[in-house]
Amino acid sequence: MKDQVFIEILRNRFQAIANEMASTILRTGYTVFVKETADYGAGLVSRSGVLFAAPVNLGVSVMIGMPVEAVIRQIEWEDGDVVIVNDPYSSEGLITHLPDIYLIRPIFDAGELVCFAMNFVHSSDIGGRVPGSISPSSTDIFQEGLRIPPYKLVRKGELDEAFLRLFLSNCRIPDQNWGDLRALLSALHTADTRIRELITRYGREPVLTGIDGVLDYGEMRARALISALPDGDYEFIDYLEADMTPVGLIRLKLTLRIKGDELTFDFTGTDPQVQAAMNLPSHSHRGHWMIVIGVINYFRTVDPHVPYNSGLVRPLNVIAPRGSVVNPEPPAACGVRAAAQFRILDMTMGALGRVAPEIIPAAGAGQISIALVATPDIADGEMKVSVLQPLCGGSGGRPVKDGIEAGDFCTFLRNIPNETLEHDLPIVINRYGLRPDSAGPGEHRGGSGVEFSFQLTGPTAAVTARGMERYVFPPWGRRGGSTGTTGLTMLRRTGEAAESIGKIDLLNLRQGDELTLLTQGGGGFGDPFVRDPQRVLADIVRGLVTVEAAERDYGVVILDGAVNEAATVARRQERVETPTGEYTLGPAREAYDRAWPGASQESMNALIKQFPNVLRPFARAELLAELRPLATKGSVTLTDVEAAFARLSERWRGPHAATTTVLAAD
Amino acid sequence: MRDGSAMTNGRLRLGIDIGGTFTDFVLMEEQSGGLHTLKVPSRPADPAGAVEEGIRRLAGDHGMDPAKIGYFVHGTTIALNALIQRAGVPTGLIITRGFADVLEIGRLRLPNPNDFMCDRPESLVPRNLVREVDERLLATGEILRPLDLDQLGEAVDQLVDSGVEAIAVSFLHSYRNDAHERAAVEFVRARCPDLYVTSSADTWPEQREYERTLVTVMNAYLGAQMKAYFDKLQGVAATLEIDASLFTTKSNGGLMTAASAAEAPVQTLLSGPASGVVGALHVARIAGKPRVISLDIGGTSADVAIIDDGVPYSTEGRVGDFPVIMPTVEISSIGAGGGSIAWVDPAGVLKVGPKSAGSDPGPACYGRGGTQATVTDAYVTLGIIDPARFLGGRMPLDAVAARAALEELGKQIGQSATAAAASVLEVVTSNMYAQLLPIMARTGVDPRDYALLAYGGAGPTHACLLARELGITQVIVPRFPGLLCAYGSLVADLKSDFVATVLLRSDQTTFEELNARFAALEEQARAWLRQQTGELGRHKIVRAADMRYRGQSFELTVTLSDEHRTVHSLDEAAAAFHADYEDVYSQSDRTAVVEFVNVRVTISGEKPHPALTELPTMNDHPPTPGERQIYLDGAWRGGGVYERASLQSGQRLTGPAVIEQDDTTSLLPLGATATVDRWANVLIEVNG
Repeated sequence: MKDQVFIEILRNRFQAIANEMASTILRTGYTVFVKETADYGAGLVSRSGVLFAAPVNLGVSVMIGMPVEAVIRQIEWEDGDVVIVNDPYSSEGLITHLPDIYLIRPIFDAGELVCFAMNFVHSSDIGGRVPGSISPSSTDIFQEGLRIPPYKLVRKGELDEAFLRLFLSNCRIPDQNWGDLRALLSALHTADTRIRELITRYGREPVLTGIDGVLDYGEMRARALISALPDGDYEFIDYLEADMTPVGLIRLKLTLRIKGDELTFDFTGTDPQVQAAMNLPSHSHRGHWMIVIGVINYFRTVDPHVPYNSGLVRPLNVIAPRGSVVNPEPPAACGVRAAAQFRILDMTMGALGRVAPEIIPAAGAGQISIALVATPDIADGEMKVSVLQPLCGGSGGRPVKDGIEAGDFCTFLRNIPNETLEHDLPIVINRYGLRPDSAGPGEHRGGSGVEFSFQLTGPTAAVTARGMERYVFPPWGRRGGSTGTTGLTMLRRTGEAAESIGKIDLLNLRQGDELTLLTQGGGGFGDPFVRDPQRVLADIVRGLVTVEAAERDYGVVILDGAVNEAATVARRQERVETPTGEYTLGPAREAYDRAWPGASQESMNALIKQFPNVLRPFARAELLAELRPLATKGSVTLTDVEAAFARLSERWRGPHAATTTVLAAD
Repeated sequence: MRDGSAMTNGRLRLGIDIGGTFTDFVLMEEQSGGLHTLKVPSRPADPAGAVEEGIRRLAGDHGMDPAKIGYFVHGTTIALNALIQRAGVPTGLIITRGFADVLEIGRLRLPNPNDFMCDRPESLVPRNLVREVDERLLATGEILRPLDLDQLGEAVDQLVDSGVEAIAVSFLHSYRNDAHERAAVEFVRARCPDLYVTSSADTWPEQREYERTLVTVMNAYLGAQMKAYFDKLQGVAATLEIDASLFTTKSNGGLMTAASAAEAPVQTLLSGPASGVVGALHVARIAGKPRVISLDIGGTSADVAIIDDGVPYSTEGRVGDFPVIMPTVEISSIGAGGGSIAWVDPAGVLKVGPKSAGSDPGPACYGRGGTQATVTDAYVTLGIIDPARFLGGRMPLDAVAARAALEELGKQIGQSATAAAASVLEVVTSNMYAQLLPIMARTGVDPRDYALLAYGGAGPTHACLLARELGITQVIVPRFPGLLCAYGSLVADLKSDFVATVLLRSDQTTFEELNARFAALEEQARAWLRQQTGELGRHKIVRAADMRYRGQSFELTVTLSDEHRTVHSLDEAAAAFHADYEDVYSQSDRTAVVEFVNVRVTISGEKPHPALTELPTMNDHPPTPGERQIYLDGAWRGGGVYERASLQSGQRLTGPAVIEQDDTTSLLPLGATATVDRWANVLIEVNG
């Protein structure tokens, strides 16, 4: 049993090396994403490609489940090599969008491969059609920048200068990218030294056994935690909103299947891949890091001491149908795949809510949107490009307490001081604060969203944004809690009234225009009419809930700054319907579900599979266009879908058929 | 406790450190350098009372004449505790319209986004005590909207009605132009003379509204209490007929007068550990090893600082939940200490910490009802600590209880009590290693170039075990490891930092302009020093600037003038930046435009440090140890037991051995050798 002591000692040592790598990157990294938003990572990987150590509180904190097998398989490894890769398709799920540049270094001891050190940064630009490389409206991956399949950037200690030039010639910020690469290289070097020290101290075999040991330890904890949950299939359906592109809404369907000590994420029924950048190239990999995050969070919430490695994901199966938005085929674009990740996190919480009701919150804002401003600098005669505030909303209300203001369970980004923004950009910020009445009412209300409002003082500016979500369907409530509010973008042109403009893909501003971005409040948990009236009053005093909303949403009547007990009791008794059900999806979502029943949508997805993958998006668009009038009037039935599909097949039967159709039309 | 000769009749220096459990006293005789030390239990409800008790005992038992105290300095955790326990006064915040939520949102990132139960830290000012007023400056400092005094009046009246006792004023871009803040402060003072009022530009005029507002609010929140405490302490000093003016230690490792501390309590928040580091540097230098990693292991945590022949500073210090933007001594806290509890997780894996038994109930061996095994229980069970000798025998430990707790733990992992105790030490050592390594990576140091300087109750006990893991070969244990914070306060300088956000570009400014900004800060700095002692005296000024390449979003702090470097032109300033930049990033762009974001000035008033008493040299007389069984590296071994006070300069000891003294036990593992230097430091060589 001495092993159980040695395991903890090795786990600590491995953790130290991963954290040391991350600290080195943070100190010597070069780009904004490293310094300000912590979008980088580091880890140690076993010979078979399993991540066995990753930093907990440094960098992105979502690396558990990163699969490295495919890259390892493709390379003949030699001591002193460093492989570079950013391609989601050839890396088979390790990488999910091009700006993440990964380096992998094998660590040898006396000629024998012991493990790998791996790290990455999110580069601020990797080429492609837009500065920053990411746009929701990209339709294929070639628009998103340079693709690098696994390649030896360093071969037995020799840097491949020719490759480096090729790479740096293809991005807008070569110096910064090279600066970041150097930070990564030096962190890998440190890891190599540390692993060798460890081997000197404990011997190679014990270290190799230890790697398996810490992974087994993680797996054992995960299986025990899953076993404590009741067996069953728990389904949850939610939407991604690509409505700023022709794609429209994307339906995701998750069946979380718990059986014994295994858990399966089954996405059967999810929409096909789209010609927009929300595809998540998971390769249906077991325990894929962007899919399992909700369950990892659950593990870490119920047991903060679970070992943080990919042993945790061994009992987590993934069934993501090939060609679907969660397992696209090339060349699907995937720049904004984080939106899918956040939605899957919400859906996982939705499904887990049924089995662990005492832990799981209602839905939070479910987005991190990043807006960029490009504006000409009069003094310099150059274009300035800068990030505006990263926009997050509130978390969902929780079984025992309110949600978090301005923070969801994906909020690892830092904001930028408004004073710095005003110094860097020709803008005046009118407000950066919590958004009143945005939180979903509940016994435990959601966290409030954020309002960020600024006025352009310079001559002109272009605003682009990515990751805007939940503008159509609000964050859902749980157990009688109401929905939160949807996101909102208000534009007030000089001299005109403010208008809601929905999500932003590209927006041009003129001097004096005011743009206000409002993020979602989280959904509520529990019936708002049983919330302690004094807590409602406290929210009013804090300015987060208005007196009107208190009466409407909570049944709390305020008179002269105090709760009117009698009126409140009366108001609360007046209510005809007590909210029921596990989830409150809200009227917009309910109407949509009526117009487009799930069975009809899934039938459409199944039918278009008769076409090759390249045709499916077009087929889908045709069908949607034909069926939309029916949805507007009532409901799209299975018969409607089948009939529309039959007509489409008729038109598309083959090149000859098309020709004859066209000729006949003449 | 007394060291060296009997008290002579010269001038005295008294350093006091008020900790959570004990109030420590170090009395130094200026002429001889002789030290006298004392610990008395702290009184959380009446900290000044413990100070009075200690001074009376020094006078009674040690024959000290309070009138001879020419130098009286103390460090206190009162402000820190008030902050952590949210026990400050009800405070209001007046802020630019549109920004009431600056404290609620902070820097956005959640403390632990993976945890569904995670929360943001509770704000020091609840949202209903934040009032927005119309006023607005641009980033250039120009006035966009004037300050609306009617709204201000209404806001102040409402806040006073809500019961606030202090008000913080923070307006956007006040680091550029503090006219509105000054007007607001004057207005509030005139309207409510009894309120404690502070403004952000007065507190720390640096760009970044959240961090600046936060330190301003901390000042307001803590100020009233600190002032009351200092008044009381001045009273105590007067009663005891201490003539010297009272100084207090600061988070930047320097000193200021008690009166200044009452105005800027936020500057004292990290002063305790900071003076420990100042003391550690002093010891490191006299021991001839100016590069050390200081390791202060207490009951619940260990404080670590990387010292490279100078006190390390950071502008990213943290206090409890909050960032502190002002320069503080850079100390990292790691969650492992003597009280850390050992436990077994559901997979049967042995864990140590982060939970600590604290001092109540404390480790099982404290006999106060604790039953869970802790690191201290492991020391006792393995014979490293003599239970009868703990705290000089004033608090005998219960070895039976320690062993019982470890027996219980051992049952869960299939080990005997002894083996379990050894496992606990191995695991906690690997814990410390895991937390230390990234701290070193953050500063870019290789531990093998450093010695470990151990202090605090458990530092010297654990230092060699940790040094072996880190590849460190030398450990230094100062003469009074338990009193290094109080000692540090005796060797600290008067010191203050000043900042101005200037945002000057190298292609659009002149050296004269830059110099003028520095000169303005230096004028403030000299005025501060004059105010401290009534005269300017010998002093040192260091100029530095936060610089970056234009367009970059992060800065490097570059020293532009000190004893090693002086720049005489903009080009030389830029060259200094390029050179420092290359050190970190191994590249630079010597043609690029450079920006000066903030200019910084640090002033220190220097005073002569008395030399310490040297020990007689006894090279040829190895000490004769006692002996007891100590379990080390897998076996019980006969280990030497030495009394610290009897060690003489030049003596050599070999491990396994322990050196015992009232405030700690130092452990020398198998293969370690130690020598005693002229100032009674123990220098241990550890073989990796």
